[in-house]
Amino acid sequence: MARLILQRLFWLLPVALGVVTITFFAARVFGGDPTELYTPPEATDALRAEIRERLGLADPLWVQYVRYIGDIARLDFGVSFSTNQSVGADLTDRLPATLELGLVGLGLGVLLGVPLGVLAAVTREGPTDFLVRGITLTGMALPQFWIGLVLIWVFFVILGWLPGPVGRLPIGVDLPAPITGFLLIDLLLLGDMERWRLAVLQLVLPAGTLAIATLAPIARVTRASMVEALQSDYIRTAIAMGHGKRAVWFRYALRNALLPVVTLVGVLAGYVFGGAVLLESIFGWPGLGQYALQAIESSDFAALQGFVIYAALLYVLAFLAVDVLYMVIDPRMRR
Amino acid sequence: MTRAPLSWSMRIGLAILGFYVAVALLSLVWTPHDPLSPGVGDGFLPPSVEFPLGTDRLGSDVLSRLMAGTQYNLGIAVLAVAIALTVGSILGVIAGYYGGATDIAISRGVEVFQAFPGLLFAMLIVKAVGPGVVNVILVLSFVGIPDYVRLARAEVQSRRNWPYAEAARMVGNRSWQVAFRHILPNSTGPLLAFTSINAAFVALVTASLGFLGLGLSPNTPEWGNMIARGQDGVMTGEWWISFFPGLAILGMTGAFYLLGDALSDLTDPRRRR
Amino acid sequence: MSDYLLEVTGLSGAFRSPTGELTPVLHDVSFDLRAGVTTAIVGETGSGKSLTALSILGIQPATFVRSAGRIIFDGQDLLALDARALRAVRGRRIAMVFQDARSALNPVFTVGRQLADVHRLYHGGSRAAAMDAAIDALRRVAIPEPARRARQYPHEFSGGMAQRAMIALAALICRPELLILDEPTTGLDVTTQAEIMELLAELARAERLTTCLITHDLGVVAESCDQVVVMNAGRVVETATTEAIFTSPREAYTQRLLAASQLVEGAA
Repeated sequence: MARLILQRLFWLLPVALGVVTITFFAARVFGGDPTELYTPPEATDALRAEIRERLGLADPLWVQYVRYIGDIARLDFGVSFSTNQSVGADLTDRLPATLELGLVGLGLGVLLGVPLGVLAAVTREGPTDFLVRGITLTGMALPQFWIGLVLIWVFFVILGWLPGPVGRLPIGVDLPAPITGFLLIDLLLLGDMERWRLAVLQLVLPAGTLAIATLAPIARVTRASMVEALQSDYIRTAIAMGHGKRAVWFRYALRNALLPVVTLVGVLAGYVFGGAVLLESIFGWPGLGQYALQAIESSDFAALQGFVIYAALLYVLAFLAVDVLYMVIDPRMRR
Repeated sequence: MTRAPLSWSMRIGLAILGFYVAVALLSLVWTPHDPLSPGVGDGFLPPSVEFPLGTDRLGSDVLSRLMAGTQYNLGIAVLAVAIALTVGSILGVIAGYYGGATDIAISRGVEVFQAFPGLLFAMLIVKAVGPGVVNVILVLSFVGIPDYVRLARAEVQSRRNWPYAEAARMVGNRSWQVAFRHILPNSTGPLLAFTSINAAFVALVTASLGFLGLGLSPNTPEWGNMIARGQDGVMTGEWWISFFPGLAILGMTGAFYLLGDALSDLTDPRRRR
Repeated sequence: MSDYLLEVTGLSGAFRSPTGELTPVLHDVSFDLRAGVTTAIVGETGSGKSLTALSILGIQPATFVRSAGRIIFDGQDLLALDARALRAVRGRRIAMVFQDARSALNPVFTVGRQLADVHRLYHGGSRAAAMDAAIDALRRVAIPEPARRARQYPHEFSGGMAQRAMIALAALICRPELLILDEPTTGLDVTTQAEIMELLAELARAERLTTCLITHDLGVVAESCDQVVVMNAGRVVETATTEAIFTSPREAYTQRLLAASQLVEGAA
């Protein structure tokens, strides 16, 4: 198994190289001359040339490309001109916020979506199935940002039960110095229950939105593969041996039915941890998605390149994790 | 073999899409108010007889904009998907049928592009090539192509050595004729089912781009644009500006999903029954 | 008490298509299984023999709609039982060996675990004790290295080995009064087929099982069965002792079946 993981990791190298290459050339072709971003408009040609020299832009493209690859290999993504920090540091700072939101949201999505899918499968063609399918279809057909806005409207504006979309803590409440960076864990470690409560309340709506958006496809796929598993020969055997319904569903069918669900959750995780861009922007969530959006808006190419490479690698790593989980669930995959 | 009757999901999906097409056509000749001009009423008017879905911040009629938006959202989805389907299946058939170095080149390329998450990828290229209807269509089709390549390639590979393909080769068809005339038509079912699901995805991404202000010019009555314009209103209780475009997206995307479901039920015998 | 362990009377039914049309598939099927005897139900594909067998345990496809009939087992009508009572019969009193054991066993659990689960379902006890019972059952069906094999998954078993494991489960773990064998050797090599049938005969003798063999293979019937029920197109064509079927078949269909199987060139 370890060998297979190594093999897969090795496989990632060409993909990673491709991603980096495309990003580099896309930035050069579409991004225009980065010198302009660092140069005041009234600068003299001499100053311009000097800046070009300093940025290494005077070298031939292939030299720049090789240097770029070298930098990336050392995980050096350059400096963001809007934050004046190294892009690597920016990404590291913002990663925990995205991970926290993603883990809670996607976790809820799985915890709700899988049972819903099972429920629909075992009541196939009945009213419950119909209802679940309606819910999942709606959840999948709605844009995430709109779900977020409607939740804000209902729970913050109308009902006033939950706080507004202002990030991880209410305005005026300071973030503690990061220990793990995961706010809920840090505040527990500090024993600061009051701020912990506030942080949880802030998390409910964005995580809830993410949960709704992810539970829909999860429930759908669970239902489909569960229906298939329930029609299989081995389930017929389990029933013929006198196993009860619940054992048949949850012990014998579900484990087989989970394979496609694992794939889907992997894809969703790659997307969610890459920064649910729109979600973070709506809820003022200071994560990677917001960072990427700001980078796009301000044409901050160093930041963008760093983010894109990070997101792409994460996506690919999510697929690797899926492969590993597959081997855990399905013995036929172990070699 | 008796032809299975149209399933309810197929009927509902087609009916809804038919309605959207009708609205899009109608909006070309008539909308209650001018969708593009601000100040046809006061700003932030709640739904009333005069403005059934209210007015937005600039005093434009939400219903008129919603109707006109159908042209953009439906048109972009249909065209982008059509291009992706065409280009993707051609590349996929070539990779699957000829195999070898061609296949490796195409498949590796696809893998690299698939490493970029769809929405993010679309955002980046649209940002790079600039806004505009044509650019959005091209970008969205480009983002979709890898999936079609994979699907078409797998379909063709599984059928390449079937007896009727052998027979077609033996009677002297050229290889591209066998690939495109004899093998590809047998794969239209799965491809069409995926196309419908993909159209739903494209519709969502179009709205997302609009919401971020990346896709089309700000005054375009595209639904995502409209939701963005109403975003502030949500905080102050003027919910209708953002709410109704969301419902419009729900209907169209939902219809595409229903259609996709029905098509894959039709083409996958295991899922029939 | 009658000599009959199971009596099927007037079983009729149809498949319902997605559009609701009914296609009749079983017509007034009646036969008896005598206690302590091996009865074969013989017929071609589509004769309704498997469907009848699955109906005994209530595991027929959901699209099958029964219109009439009773299946009396030990004095009670199985078709009238509620879910709980039916569960008490399944496995414990009537067990079934399926065609293609490799897909009839759950791919994501070890073979030993699947046997042990059923053992615990009936007898309770610890996991370890159940696993011991499972290994013991595998040993009795002549699976070499049963302890190691018990830790393997169905896909690591050959078709013949998987069928042995399935037989260990149905005959030795379940210890039923009636063992139904649904095409147990179809898809296996000829030599493996013979070994499996031998094993089944041995177990039936040792455990005093009443067995019902569903098959299309008259060769198998000749060697191992006492009674034969011939089915065709959803109807019972002929019921007789094995000897009578082979020496003096009364129905034209039975004769054709015999001729086609090339077992009785001289007799026909």
